[in-house]
Amino acid sequence: MNYFGFIITAALFDFSRNKGRTFLTSLGILIGVMSVVLILALGLGLKKYISDQFDSLGANLIYILPGNKKALTSGAGMIGGIKFDDKDVFKVKRVKGVEVVAPVFSKPGVEIEANGKAEIVEIIASFDEINAIMNLQLEAGRLIERRDGEKKTKGIVISPKIAQSLFGNITEAIGKTVEIEGQSFKVIGIYKSKGGGGLGGSDMDSHVFVPASSIYAFNPDKKYYGLYIKAVSKEIIPQVKKDLEEVLLKRYDEKKFCVVDQSEIMTTITQIFNILNLVLVAIAAISLLVGGIGIMNIMYVSVSERIKEIGIRRALGALKQDILSLFLIEAVFLSLIGGLLGVLISSLIVYLVSPIFPAYIDIMAVILALGVSSCIGIVFGVFPAKRAADLSPIDAIRYE
Amino acid sequence: MAEEIIRTEHVWKEYMMGDVLFQALKDISISINLGELVSIIGPSGSGKSTLMHIIGLLDQPTRGKIFISGKDIASFTDDKISSLRSEFVGFVFQQFNLINKLTILENILLPTVYVRKKLEYNPVEKALYLMKRFGIDGKEKSYPNKISGGQQQRAAIARALIMSPKLILADEPTGNLDSKSGEEILKLLKELNKEEKITVVIVTHDHLVAKQTKRIIEIKDGKVDK
Repeated sequence: MNYFGFIITAALFDFSRNKGRTFLTSLGILIGVMSVVLILALGLGLKKYISDQFDSLGANLIYILPGNKKALTSGAGMIGGIKFDDKDVFKVKRVKGVEVVAPVFSKPGVEIEANGKAEIVEIIASFDEINAIMNLQLEAGRLIERRDGEKKTKGIVISPKIAQSLFGNITEAIGKTVEIEGQSFKVIGIYKSKGGGGLGGSDMDSHVFVPASSIYAFNPDKKYYGLYIKAVSKEIIPQVKKDLEEVLLKRYDEKKFCVVDQSEIMTTITQIFNILNLVLVAIAAISLLVGGIGIMNIMYVSVSERIKEIGIRRALGALKQDILSLFLIEAVFLSLIGGLLGVLISSLIVYLVSPIFPAYIDIMAVILALGVSSCIGIVFGVFPAKRAADLSPIDAIRYE
Repeated sequence: MAEEIIRTEHVWKEYMMGDVLFQALKDISISINLGELVSIIGPSGSGKSTLMHIIGLLDQPTRGKIFISGKDIASFTDDKISSLRSEFVGFVFQQFNLINKLTILENILLPTVYVRKKLEYNPVEKALYLMKRFGIDGKEKSYPNKISGGQQQRAAIARALIMSPKLILADEPTGNLDSKSGEEILKLLKELNKEEKITVVIVTHDHLVAKQTKRIIEIKDGKVDK
């Protein structure tokens, strides 16, 4: 048997003799690794969910929004910022590379009622251009059309989810009336579900669309919160953005508006997500630290129990570094057992929750978790192992 | 002239026992030649085991010099002393000192695990040969606590011989054995000395054991008595 064979046999023997102790020692690492892997899995799942939601919108989109770009994600820019008007729409339409422009007036957190039931939705008031921009597909009835703007139709396009909730089924909903803040709207159509949901918050299916002209009651000065633009192609987006900025700078101060594209919004969201994830992982990592201290404690006990064995090995020619390796490998084994079980259990949990929660385990998270747990074994095993290696051979062999 | 294998020059070993300085060895100067069969005898607490540990490079003297094959080991590093220990000395202890979680074969092979140089023989073949020679063949996969004391001591001698050392240091090798097993172990050590010219140093308090060696070094109160 070779050198490592001997050391591994010795470690495995010790573990099998102290099964309970081995398990309890590894439990700390197990919980730590499990928490880290689960948080990373849920974080990745959420990120993918958001990215999918973005993908469900049309491609090559540019948004002109009120407020400074930096304040965009905090929402601060939306409050008290400028509003856009038809003059802006006209000018923007003339920018080269702009295919469609949809001016949008939106109001989140609005209650929609029918049949004594209510749902909270985000109302998006616009023109027929919004269909292309939001990539709306028809499920039943019809989408907003050009004539709705002219006729000031009090029609509304809702999602299958809202239709289901208010009317029981999709076909029932068409032609029915819903109430929004005292105003009546007729359901003219239902768009195909954009997925998502189950997470709470404003998912894509909680959007309802009405013709901009139908809600002048909410928007008496006929201004828009944002201009949604579809560019001709992805490649020209930077140039279009630049041109759009130039056009708007003629009317507004540069701090009063911003021109952003999907990837920028996605980047900002990803950044926020990464920070949040990092904080959560750091909190979970505390349990890894506690697990490491558990390993250190048990390794000290193991060294105390095996002082005579250390003396015998030293008498037979083992160098200090051989004794150090012996105990270090045991410590790494202990933490790896915990790490592997942690990965297994978290995989099982992710598998079980995946139908209701978007989560998936990335191979990098697994490698990271196992790498970190091995490092913990080394870091926390090194002090007890050093103590064992530094024992005088004669004192150790005489130890009873 | 016989080749000198070990020499101690004015070796002292002192410990602090609480506030009191205890002198385990006082000015010991002895020399042992290659191929000798020597016993170091003395009553309990005389310092004979301390002397054996110093000769066996398990312990270091407080003062004085140790020469192994003519080389002063004072300048040797801990690693070099460990390597020398594994290649130069084979230990046989009163308590056998086998590792209970390893099989007999693994125990015998243990010194070969830590050797840094390439061995010129197959260690497993040699271990099996030694086991057969000492009458413990068939116990390869047994654990130490499952065989008799005599068998354990034979395994310990096989372990001491696996690295083909020049010197065997046996500390009360018969102390934990019945008289028949003790006799057999002594016979074995004498055979190794006679047939293979291995230097054997037996530390004992038993005059009957000491009488069977060719030279007796008597230690009393930490000093060589004659």
